[in-house]
Formats: sequence, C-alpha cells, structure tokens
Amino acid sequence: MTADPIQHREHVMGTVVTFDIYPEPDAKDIQLTEVRRQLVRAQAILHRADEVFSTWQPDSAVSRMRRGEITVGEAPDEVAEVLAACATARELSDGWFDPWAMPGGFDPTGYVKGWAAQRALAALSADCIAGAIVNAAGDIASSGRQPTGQAFRIGIADPAAPRQLAEIVELTGAIATSGSYERAGHLLDPWSGRPATRAASASVTGPDLGLADALATAVAVAGEAGLTLVESLEGYEALVIGFDGTRKWTRHFPFAGPIVATGG
Amino acid sequence: MKRAPIVIAGTLAGLIGVLEFHTTPASLTIGGLPGSSAASAPASIGGAAGGSRASAGAGAAANASPAPGSASQPSGASHTAVGPGVNYYFGVISVKVKVSGNKIVNVGIASLNDSGNPRSQFIDQQAIPILEQEVIQAQSANIQGVSGASYTSAGFARSLQSALHSLGFA
Repeated sequence: MTADPIQHREHVMGTVVTFDIYPEPDAKDIQLTEVRRQLVRAQAILHRADEVFSTWQPDSAVSRMRRGEITVGEAPDEVAEVLAACATARELSDGWFDPWAMPGGFDPTGYVKGWAAQRALAALSADCIAGAIVNAAGDIASSGRQPTGQAFRIGIADPAAPRQLAEIVELTGAIATSGSYERAGHLLDPWSGRPATRAASASVTGPDLGLADALATAVAVAGEAGLTLVESLEGYEALVIGFDGTRKWTRHFPFAGPIVATGG
Repeated sequence: MKRAPIVIAGTLAGLIGVLEFHTTPASLTIGGLPGSSAASAPASIGGAAGGSRASAGAGAAANASPAPGSASQPSGASHTAVGPGVNYYFGVISVKVKVSGNKIVNVGIASLNDSGNPRSQFIDQQAIPILEQEVIQAQSANIQGVSGASYTSAGFARSLQSALHSLGFA
C-alpha cells in the first residue's frame, strides 16, 4: 500500500480538479512546505486558465473573442499559445478535433482543461515528490511514479456501466477519456455537426494532456478510424470501447494486466 | 439496462436505516448503493425533472435490503455512518459509508439536493457512481485515479471524511 498522498480538490473550470501528490517516504517537513507552496501555485494556474478561457464566464477573454469584441492580439498571451496548439491538434487529428467547428464559434474547452492541468502539474516540481497526479474530472496528467517505484495505475471507467472499471492502465504521463456518456452534446462530429456516435468511449495516453484530450475527443468521434491516426503519433496510444463493449487499441496501449473482475 | 452491475456484493444491509436528511429536504434520493442503484438511480433522476420522487430510489433499495448486520458480513462487525450535508458545486450532498474491519465496503449517497437544475442533475447522475466507484475500487484494485469520470466533488469527499471520522477512521 502506498502512503497517503497530499491531496487537494479545487473547484475550478466548472468542475473539480483533484491533486494527489506522493512525496518520497524520506521527505522532510521543510520540503513538504515547499510542496504545499507549489500546490498553491498550481491552483492559481487553473484559475487563471478559467479566467481567460471560460466560455461560461461572459467576461473571459475567449468569451469576448467569441463575441468579436477583441482580437487574439488583444487577448492575453496564453490565448495565442492555445490557439496554435488547437490548430496543431486539429491537424494531427485529421480534423476530427476541431474547436472552430463548435456551435457558438471557437470553443477551446476540449483542449484547455487538459492544457491547464498539464501546466498545473508542471508547478509541482519539488525534488521530494516521487510522483504527482492532477485529475481534471477524469482527464489525468501525471509525473513520476508511486513512492514504491511502481507506475501509477489508473482505471478507465466502463462506458456501459460507469460504476465499474473497464480497464486499468499503467500510466506514464497523461490519459484522457472522452465518451458520449460523459456529457450530453459534448462530442460533436465536426463534419456533420451532429452528436458523435462511433464509439462509447475513447482513451488516449501520451506525454501531454492537452493533446491527449484533443485526441481522445477525436478518436471518440472518429471511432476505430481514429486508432490509425494515433498509431502514427509517437508517444501516444489509444483504446476505443464500442457500444457493444468490444475493445480496439493501438499496439502499445499501456494495459496493466487483466480486466478488473466485475459482477458479484 | 442490460444488467445491474454488482461491484460490491451483499452490502445493502443496514444502510437505509441510517438515511438522514441533515439539511434542506433532499430533492433527490438515490438508492445510493453501488450494487443496487444502477437500475433505479437513472430512473429516479429522470423523474426528478417532474418534481417528486424521493421514494423511488429509497423504496427500491429498502425492498432489496435485508436486516442490518445480516449474513453479508458474517465475520466481524460492520459499521455505517452518514456524513453531514456539505455544500458542493451544485447543492448539498450527504454521503454514507459502511466499514467492515478497516475496509470501506460501501459508499453511497444519503441525500442530495441539486436544486432541480437539469445540468446539475445530469452531472450528478454521471458523477456519483464514479465517486462511489473511486472510493471502493481505489481500495480493491490499487488504483490512483479513474479516467472518464466527468466530475468529482469536494463535497462528496468532505462528507465521506466526516462519516469515516465518526467511525473512528481518518
């Protein structure tokens, strides 16, 4: 059993982001104090992202851009950065992830949550941290490992029975899962403009949560066709769960052994 | 619903008896039991838009519930506690937990008031099973997180923590 992590849950971006920080067993109090300072900075990063990118808050820079009140140049610097990253993600996903094809205009929400969580994770850099997890409502950025030396094990919710896990992965870096069960109308097919229905859920692992999140959205929309796409991206792997429960995955998807037993 | 998933077997006992409503009357009562409510919870939440349904989930669970402390945990005492109603993003939530030995064997919702807001209800409907699952499976499967959960509630955690505390844990 791993020792208890330093945990924090922060209400931000319309959801709750969970921090689990696993210090080395020999971490000194003074080092842990530094970890807590970094945790405060990490939270501030999330709130800043919310302030700039929220499409729910009418005063955010992105909301004002959507209404045509300001240009990218007039928005805070991060906006141009995220716009460029979204364009890259759109290209890498063959257009299956397209924040410009959303109703109401450009909506980077599908990228920003992961991007912000990844930035928040980067703030947790103290030497005494064996590993850390930032879980933004099911999209997870991680660094390091458990203090035991084992990789973090992350369950993937079963889209057919969200009380259960469909699979467990041994995580290095990030994992994002998108699915039609997740939020009504969350996934739109950028080609048809209609809700996507090709996969019950798609999970993508890789070094960066922003891109993993975008790719998970793309693969959930594209279905199995999306796997070919992810296969070609170095460092990223994907798993698709169909509505009938069938699984398809890229060659090196990091399964952590057998499927969790379900049923009494 | 193809089947009612049973994640934790035989833990219905004794939970209904401790249902309490600490705050405003619950606008939503889920069966609240990870093993039993898969089928009943969506139905009762679906009915929520209309207004009255507190009985649906609890009633179903009560029917399925044997007497407290019965055969499901034959060896050793199990204890149940209900956490206080805690404000969370969409309303007020109260969590109940059942502990046997040093292990949490069941987690569920004692009461939930999400103000009848359809978005809140939808998110709760998606999230609460995940929260219950996180607690149970984090123990049983040695995992450090769940991907695909759409929402995790600090209120859930706080109420759970208080419930555990009252049982002498945490």
